[in-house]
Amino acid sequence: MIVPDSVDGALILSIIDFFLSIVMISGIGFILSLFPLFNRLGRVDEEKIKKGGH
Amino acid sequence: MIEQTLSFMQALLDQTGIEHFWWGNLVMIAIGATMIYLAISKHYEPLLLIGIGFSCIISNVPGSDLILPGGLFNYAYQGVALLIIPPLIFFGVGAMTDFGPMIANPKLVVLGAAAHLGIFVALIGAKALGFTINEAGAIGIIGGADGPMAIFVTMKLAPHLLPQISVAAYSYMALMPLIQPPVMKLLTSKQERLIVMKQNRQVSRLERIIFPVVIGVIVNLFFPPVAPLITMLMLGNLFKEVLVTDRLAKTAANGLMNVIIIILTVAIGSTMAADKFLTVKTVEIVALGLVAFVFGTASGVLGAKIMNLFLKDKINPLLGSAGIASVPIAARVAHMVALRENKENYLIYHAMGPNLAGVFGTAISGGIMLALLGVK
Repeated sequence: MIVPDSVDGALILSIIDFFLSIVMISGIGFILSLFPLFNRLGRVDEEKIKKGGH
Repeated sequence: MIEQTLSFMQALLDQTGIEHFWWGNLVMIAIGATMIYLAISKHYEPLLLIGIGFSCIISNVPGSDLILPGGLFNYAYQGVALLIIPPLIFFGVGAMTDFGPMIANPKLVVLGAAAHLGIFVALIGAKALGFTINEAGAIGIIGGADGPMAIFVTMKLAPHLLPQISVAAYSYMALMPLIQPPVMKLLTSKQERLIVMKQNRQVSRLERIIFPVVIGVIVNLFFPPVAPLITMLMLGNLFKEVLVTDRLAKTAANGLMNVIIIILTVAIGSTMAADKFLTVKTVEIVALGLVAFVFGTASGVLGAKIMNLFLKDKINPLLGSAGIASVPIAARVAHMVALRENKENYLIYHAMGPNLAGVFGTAISGGIMLALLGVK
């Protein structure tokens, strides 16, 4: 166990976890903000895809 | 002759569970019956409560072999204990979820983490009440308002608390329309609740197909402890979005999901034996779960208000409450509260963004928690 089994440990765990979560999810948000760039690769023809579906 | 008959009768009686019946069993049977009643009459999570309620009743009938090793309910529990069932639920959820709102408005994604302060308030509260740090972590994750994730983290940190935590998590998720609105109204002004959101952009099919692949890679790279859940969520979503595997997507979202729900509910209910469930700890866990939901809702709303300090186009702070996860209940609550103020303010599509991000927020919080506690 990395975090001590005490109220102080719980506090430290909470602070680290909460702020790291915000940082990590902001990172995911940043990556998602780049998603429109994928559209420069081209357009997917949905009708054509559906024809070959199973 | 009479003596022989009496000894036969005694032997027969010994075979039954009547001798071991105590008032605790009666209380748990009443709880199970109440769950079935609420599911039927109030429509509170019927898909979950019917199975949980019934297996709770049966597992409190002394002598029932179903919950013992080799019994069918016990096999169902093994599916949960071996962490097979929760990822399969996520698989089904992924196949029925449209992540478009989350992709379309990435700035709202941060609300998926902001709304999880409740996890940590409950965690610290649980530790202060004398739970071990692992138990406190499992209790805290109730605030993530995500049933499979709560089960997953609990099975890793404190499997003996599974019945209390899963019942608290699912009960509060069903009660969110009652728990959240007072908190949301308390923390927002009428003017804020009236904010109308700008229409989101269209998300292309290519983006929708790339999304599960990218998230799958990120989660496995950064959060291996919770990767099975999110990976299966993304696989289910990929089946849905590629448009060429309709059969698989439909199976994951319908047939398979239904089977998994049956197994899950039976597994949870079968762990609700009176001697384990009727304790002071259960009352404390249920109370901490409520604290987690209230603080999660509050921190989400406050997070959205803080964002508004920096944004040119203000967002409706009610969206913050949806970041608590519990898809799509929390998004629906945000929508309903906004609709009460302005009958033409439809927040549901916008609220789905932070709501879905809340699933990732819970997974990330859970993953970091497991890593910090040294649990793989």
